[in-house]
Amino acid sequence: MIGYIGKRMIAIIPIVFIATLVTFGLIHISPVDPAEAYLTAAHIYPTPELLAEKRHEFGLDRPLFTQYVDTLKRIAQLDFGTSYLTNKPVIDEVMDKFPATAELALWSIIFSALVSIPLGILAAVYKNSWIDMVSRAISYFGASIPQFWLGYLLIFFFAVKLDWLPVEGRGSWENLVLPTLTLSMVMIALYTRMLRTSVLEQLQESYVQYARTRGIRERVIMLKHVLKIAITPFITGMGMTMGRLLTGTIIVEQVFSWPGFGRYFVEAIFNRDIPVIQCYVFISACLFIVCNLIVDLVQLYMDPRISAKGRAEH
Amino acid sequence: MLGQQHKRSTTLMMVTTLLLLLFIVGCSNKESSSASSSASGDQASSAKSITMSWPRDIGTMNPHTYNPSQLFAQSMIYEPLISYQKDGKLEPALAESWTISDDGKVYTFKLRQGVKFSDGTPFNAEIVKKNFDSIMKNKKTHSWLGIIGVLDKIEVVDDRTFRMTLTEPYYPVLQDLSVVRPFRFLGAAGFPDDGDTSKGIKEPVGTGPWMLADYKQDEYAVFKRNPNYWGTAPAFDQITVKIIPDAETRVLAFEKGDLDLIYGEGVISLDAFQQLRENDKYVSELSDPVGTRDLLLNSSNPKLSDVRVRKALQQGFNKKAMVEGVTSGLEEPADTALSKNYPYTDVDLKPIEYNVEQSKALLDEAGWKMPAGGTVREKDGQKLEFELIFDKTDPIQKAMGETIQAEWSELGVKVNLTGLELTVQIKRLKANDFDLYFWYNYGAPYDPHSFINVVASPGFGISETLTALPMKKELDEQVHAALSSTDEKKRQELYTSILTTLQEQSAIVPISYVKKTAVYQKKIAKFVFPANRDENPFVGMQLSNP
Repeated sequence: MIGYIGKRMIAIIPIVFIATLVTFGLIHISPVDPAEAYLTAAHIYPTPELLAEKRHEFGLDRPLFTQYVDTLKRIAQLDFGTSYLTNKPVIDEVMDKFPATAELALWSIIFSALVSIPLGILAAVYKNSWIDMVSRAISYFGASIPQFWLGYLLIFFFAVKLDWLPVEGRGSWENLVLPTLTLSMVMIALYTRMLRTSVLEQLQESYVQYARTRGIRERVIMLKHVLKIAITPFITGMGMTMGRLLTGTIIVEQVFSWPGFGRYFVEAIFNRDIPVIQCYVFISACLFIVCNLIVDLVQLYMDPRISAKGRAEH
Repeated sequence: MLGQQHKRSTTLMMVTTLLLLLFIVGCSNKESSSASSSASGDQASSAKSITMSWPRDIGTMNPHTYNPSQLFAQSMIYEPLISYQKDGKLEPALAESWTISDDGKVYTFKLRQGVKFSDGTPFNAEIVKKNFDSIMKNKKTHSWLGIIGVLDKIEVVDDRTFRMTLTEPYYPVLQDLSVVRPFRFLGAAGFPDDGDTSKGIKEPVGTGPWMLADYKQDEYAVFKRNPNYWGTAPAFDQITVKIIPDAETRVLAFEKGDLDLIYGEGVISLDAFQQLRENDKYVSELSDPVGTRDLLLNSSNPKLSDVRVRKALQQGFNKKAMVEGVTSGLEEPADTALSKNYPYTDVDLKPIEYNVEQSKALLDEAGWKMPAGGTVREKDGQKLEFELIFDKTDPIQKAMGETIQAEWSELGVKVNLTGLELTVQIKRLKANDFDLYFWYNYGAPYDPHSFINVVASPGFGISETLTALPMKKELDEQVHAALSSTDEKKRQELYTSILTTLQEQSAIVPISYVKKTAVYQKKIAKFVFPANRDENPFVGMQLSNP
């Protein structure tokens, strides 16, 4: 088991290597010079003299290969340098932003699971009943409404009109409600339908018929047998979403002034803040790999058939 | 058995991961909730405080550096020697008075007595010199500012007297000293040990009316009154700046009453401004022009080198209708490249009026004829076709570009629109690689001298745009003479001549005057737009009695 995890963790190295290479390439293909972007953002006219000085300060006047090797060396030592924009160590800023994003991601996942698991099951069990209709309506709504618009609508009704919740910012649990709801909507839409389909599929299986014949109660069949298998694709989906959420939810963070990772990254892109972009790519790659690994481990736990296969490999 | 062990270790892994995540979240939560409660606890609820929003974090509050510090916030803490007021009047700030030698090279400042920094330390010639020295250590960074190139010597004459010597006369020295950065003053306690502020400061200590009391990056900043402030104390105790990057959210927060003021340029959408303006619950105001939106017609392009073509293009679109239609009255149609509220610009210039017939006649006269059955004019087998580059994130530029494209197509002129990222756009301006370009002047206190400076100095893209003007050399000489002139009357004459030439040559087409907007709750009884484009709007602000 430990060996398996270890092996998966080692896979981070080539993936991160490729990710940094691609990022480095893309940044340098872009026609925007980071020194120029810095000066433009500062409202200073980029005179040639000033540009040369900034390029030198950022180390952009060195050969590309040297720049790349330096970047790799630094990343290998987990040193991400200082932000061009703020002149502060990138890692400090990231550590400052990440908790906000993690908080939002975690609550959104928990809330989506709490809503979509019962709703998905009920929609399958009471197929074509009113509850199925409701779940379908929620799914259509959630899947088709643009996230920023939903955010504005929620703010308008719950913060401005009803005055129940704050418009924006981070701090108390009240600040969490609207962004969590906005983020969860699309997940609830997706996962409710997903779960409904897989529960319906399982209900057609012969083992359910046998269980019924044996006189086992419906509730037991559902909770002990059907759900255990039907929930696997749901867990996979959730795990992948977690990876995505942890790297920042740009739109929601923007709409709700949430001081998270996504907002930080977008600003870095506009300012061509290379050290920040590189750090972000590194962390994102690691997060995706770790989330994938967790998904696999959960599946291993949930479904013995996969675990047997997994063991056979090692 | 193996399976069981397997399951157990997997469960352990998952639980640990979850706990770790919750731990990270929990730790940060405590810290941010305590901080934000202090920010929100003091906000709008108190009658003696103001809450406003700003799109970006206020930054490091270093008076001598640029990014990411926001100008308005720097101007709350730090003060200049001289302050720029309405219509370009220069008034004493930290300098009580000043004298200029006859040759225009020596400036002697008498410093205001009794001024203290927010930490109680005295403001004197010594600390002025310390600040100047630190600024001049990074001369290159500030090279965009004219004074940097001519500043030769800085001396402390006595505790209250400070002297500056220039290498050559340069009249806008005083204007340059009134800008928000870099010539403002940090107290001794803020200086790093090596005295070089370019790498950072220890703490933001200034002489201004406000002090930074609480700050959380990307979330909020709280300013409290400086108890040692020498001038008239502000009419309220506290200003909270909430960082709200999204324009629509800003409006919603304002409607809810979380914000007392939305202020700035382009901080809310045109639609939102209209909607708030029509609501009696709020007050909305527009400032005097803070800058001009111009369209550059690049004369170095052979097709645009003929003044008749440039004039025809300026006459060929309905500017008034376009500006009013696109900006819903937020901007004002402009007839001259500089508005008249700067020094030396109140000059009688003849506007180039909208006249399609005359425009067509001018194009015919210049040899650009419409081919039979064609839609685009031609001359010597070349089509009258241009590329207009614009900032793709600016909806106003895009809408104006489309209007101009449509109106000029009626004349037989084809315009191709290219939306670019701002940095790329500026790069193409500097490389003189464009036909048509939306350009803005710098505003007060930088203009009119910065405007005429870029007309003559290469490297900014403007001088290059004007290269085909037959009197370009003469124009450049006039600019240099105006900048170094010590005679007020002669300077005015030179400005009049420069502005008249530019108006007649129609290479810098004035489109509209850009204005600042302010929308505020009725709790604010009096609001005054600052004359200096970059200053904060809290000077002169009064609150209504609760």
